[in-house]
Amino acid sequence: MASGKTLYIKGDRDVEVTKPDVTLADLLSMECSDQSLLPKLKTMKILKFKKTGNQRCVISVLKIIACIHGQYPDMEVQNLGETDMIVTYEDQKTPSYAWHLTKTAFVTAVTFCGAAFSIMAFNNDVDVTQLFDQIYHLVTGNKPGGITILEIAYSAGLMIGILIFFNHFGKRRFTVDPTPMEVQMRVYENDIQTTLIENAARKEKEIDVGKGGGIHGTGG
Amino acid sequence: MGQAAEVIVEQLVLALVGLSAGAAVAGGLFSFIVELGVIADFADRTHTGDKLLFYETCVALGGIIGNIVFLFYSFAPNAVSFASASFASGAVQVLFGIFAGIFVGCWSMALAEILNVFPIFMRRARIVRYASVFVIGAAIGKGLGAGLFFLKGW
Repeated sequence: MASGKTLYIKGDRDVEVTKPDVTLADLLSMECSDQSLLPKLKTMKILKFKKTGNQRCVISVLKIIACIHGQYPDMEVQNLGETDMIVTYEDQKTPSYAWHLTKTAFVTAVTFCGAAFSIMAFNNDVDVTQLFDQIYHLVTGNKPGGITILEIAYSAGLMIGILIFFNHFGKRRFTVDPTPMEVQMRVYENDIQTTLIENAARKEKEIDVGKGGGIHGTGG
Repeated sequence: MGQAAEVIVEQLVLALVGLSAGAAVAGGLFSFIVELGVIADFADRTHTGDKLLFYETCVALGGIIGNIVFLFYSFAPNAVSFASASFASGAVQVLFGIFAGIFVGCWSMALAEILNVFPIFMRRARIVRYASVFVIGAAIGKGLGAGLFFLKGW
């Protein structure tokens, strides 16, 4: 480029904003060969949400680059981040702490009772009690009377297996790896984001160059 | 080999079998619970992702305690009978029933989802709209099915 100015931008795939006016700095982290341009670039408006309610839109990075080029035509822009971004506008009011606790208590009850029910259903389904009787008879030649070492060892083994699988108990982690549920949570979020972006692209609601769209966010 | 030594060996073999069986079952069942993503889904829907570790602990505790109750309850001397119609036992039954039911409902639909039952059927039958009708149909069907199952005592 003649001017030799290069702007590097890097954005996340999922951005949450709390102000209806979205600036470039809300969406991207930026690095420019000409540092003096950065403050102006950061405050550049790129989207505008309606004031009320939660809204979401998907914006293509091409649209952002087009906006930058609108003001700095000879700027070379290098995108190092995502190519499509989900921008979610959340109303300022955060739900109360009590509501948060209620929801947590609800999920806790469901997961606890659900896990207890699942293991009992499994034990019942494969008839663990009878199987233990058979194994006991095979090994000792006698009929078991009451609780045997098998049941106790099975319970201990189950406990060990669960703790190894989940990789932590309470806040105490056994290794530095993320737990399976943390991985699952990220996978789930990733799927949701991909779906949102693809939905927007398929319905042609994505804010992209050459599609009109303008810089005003559409709800939904 | 003496009588006592033989008993010890037998007990050791049983302990080993039990321990390995427990660990294997835990790995299988709990990866089944987690990998279907039910709990991640709960945490996401309720926006309580920060409590995820706590939820995991709850699943672990539920599994451990549920298993102990299942295996040892009938052996417990003078076991407190939940069959008695006290208010406390009724409350426990209602709460456990509701929460376990919600979990199993989500779980069974998550299983259908992970096996791509709905997308495949809708694609084969060339249905593009009214996905929600099928979801409601599945929910009512499962509810009626469970009711029939208990009503008939199958």
